[in-house]
Amino acid sequence: MVEAVARANPLVPELGKIIKIVDETPDVKTFHITTEKGKPFTPLPGQLAMLSILDVGEAMFSITSQGPEHLELAIKKVGMLTEALHEAEVGQTVGIRGPYGNGFPLEMLVGKDLLFIGGGIGLAPVRSLINYCAEHREQFGHMWIIYGARSPADLCFKEDLFQNWPRVPNCRVDVTVDKGDENWTGPEGFVPAFVEKLNPSPKGKIAVTCGPPIMIKFVLQSLEKLGFQDDQIITTLEMRMKCGIGKCGRCNLGSRYVCLDGPVFTLAQLKQLPNEY
Amino acid sequence: MLKIAKEKMPELLNAWAKIGKLYVPQDQDGVSNFLPWDGKGKLTLGQGNSVLPPKDLFFPRTETMYRYQRSGGALSLEEVVENEKQILVGIRSCDARSIALLDDVFLTKGYVDEFYRRRRENTLIVALACNVAQDTCFCTSFGIDPGRAEGVDIQVWEVDGSYILEAGTEKGRELLGQAPALLMEAGEGGLPEAPACNLKVDLAGVTEKLQQMFEHPFWAQICRKCLGCGLCTYLCPTCHCFDIQSENRGDSGIKFRCWDSCMFSEYTRMAGGHNPRPSKKERVRNRFLHKLQYFPERYGKFGCVGCGRCLSYCPVNMDITRIIGGIKEVDLNG
Repeated sequence: MVEAVARANPLVPELGKIIKIVDETPDVKTFHITTEKGKPFTPLPGQLAMLSILDVGEAMFSITSQGPEHLELAIKKVGMLTEALHEAEVGQTVGIRGPYGNGFPLEMLVGKDLLFIGGGIGLAPVRSLINYCAEHREQFGHMWIIYGARSPADLCFKEDLFQNWPRVPNCRVDVTVDKGDENWTGPEGFVPAFVEKLNPSPKGKIAVTCGPPIMIKFVLQSLEKLGFQDDQIITTLEMRMKCGIGKCGRCNLGSRYVCLDGPVFTLAQLKQLPNEY
Repeated sequence: MLKIAKEKMPELLNAWAKIGKLYVPQDQDGVSNFLPWDGKGKLTLGQGNSVLPPKDLFFPRTETMYRYQRSGGALSLEEVVENEKQILVGIRSCDARSIALLDDVFLTKGYVDEFYRRRRENTLIVALACNVAQDTCFCTSFGIDPGRAEGVDIQVWEVDGSYILEAGTEKGRELLGQAPALLMEAGEGGLPEAPACNLKVDLAGVTEKLQQMFEHPFWAQICRKCLGCGLCTYLCPTCHCFDIQSENRGDSGIKFRCWDSCMFSEYTRMAGGHNPRPSKKERVRNRFLHKLQYFPERYGKFGCVGCGRCLSYCPVNMDITRIIGGIKEVDLNG
């Protein structure tokens, strides 16, 4: 049995506040969250947080970015809790606990050229890694960001896509939309076909992808076509979660829990697990 | 070893109940369950195992985790810390093993579940050896000795109108020391022989076979009669899945957890509608793979203890022993 010592209870959140809300798209907002003692915790890129509005619900979200005093969570409106978050205003009290999950395998990425492929809100977890790599630029090779959304209005993190990231040294950004509008002059088409057209070489590269399940499925096929091996491809998964600490059962993929052993897996690892995500 | 006459047992329970809240199998509307002992209940110690497993004492069906309160503009939050001493009397060897398995889940692999840990550390466990195996008992297939439970504070045997008691831990010795007037030296005399289970399963190679059976049509066949009622998970002493929900009343509320079941579609359904286990086939498969493949892969032990509750009470006779038999018979090359 474990020693009885005073320790924080991982299932009980800290109280925090929303200090800033950024409208990303018609159904995505980024929430900046802090607590009285400052940043709730310091996550690694790709790690997760359990966010709650106490009388509504609690759910797991990727942490898209962080500052010295706050965490940023980009959240799409899809259910009860996220509806309530979208109705919330600056000053709203929230519960927050974490960080959870493994995060991106930085040791595997150091020194490599990096290809980031995102679709829709799936850019949120990848963004934490892009920003980390931009901040530690000398540790990584070329950065190439390929991103798509349904329409120009649905592009998340527009300031990063069109201003910040193109200015990162040795970094290329390509953005597509499924269908443009009258002001759109960029490429049109789905992300997997766009990736194939851009034809990135697999040599010395690691690809990191996240997006809707259907996009991930076809991006993986495209990457295989381009010659990427399973251990050169990394993705991050979503699952329904309640505890975040590998106890409540529901986010299992075989004997692994996505909340604890994931959410980040290489394709080589995923192929060893049941195809049940 | 110490000894007490059977008819004196209620007096021993009365003495122990002064030390902590004591739970012992008693008659509850015609079935045997672990209930708090108030000195008046009808003991059912000799009548097979309880219908509900004792996991409730460590991992309650519903457990308040914290309370929150809004006053003025400010919200406050208070963790619920339960530190009551408990004494659990009369658990069987199968259920004792199930507690060891729950310990693996709640106390290892990176995080300690504080709610479980507090209850677990505050509980003394007194096990009762089985004299008879029920028709649905198959604990011996998992290497469990129905005549002696693992890791318990006191082991009890029923012999010729008496109970023989033996401490297994220092805490157990202390508990036996609390009622010296009621207990006498047992003297010489053998312990009863543990009963043999008539029901047996052959578990050799089952985990390894299942590792190759995820896509096998076997699951589509066996899931057909399942009603998805979740009774098996409710009665299972090792099932540990839970949900977290809140209940609000005006300016205050509680966050609680409660047992959940992988047999329910909502269990894995995400906001937005995607469900990785959308039908009975995936859910039934997950339950059996969890017990027989995933749990062994993660914790090095089977997630079943052979208590027989799920096969006794399943309304459509889903029977894990037959399913294990069916797995053994599957021809992977067929």
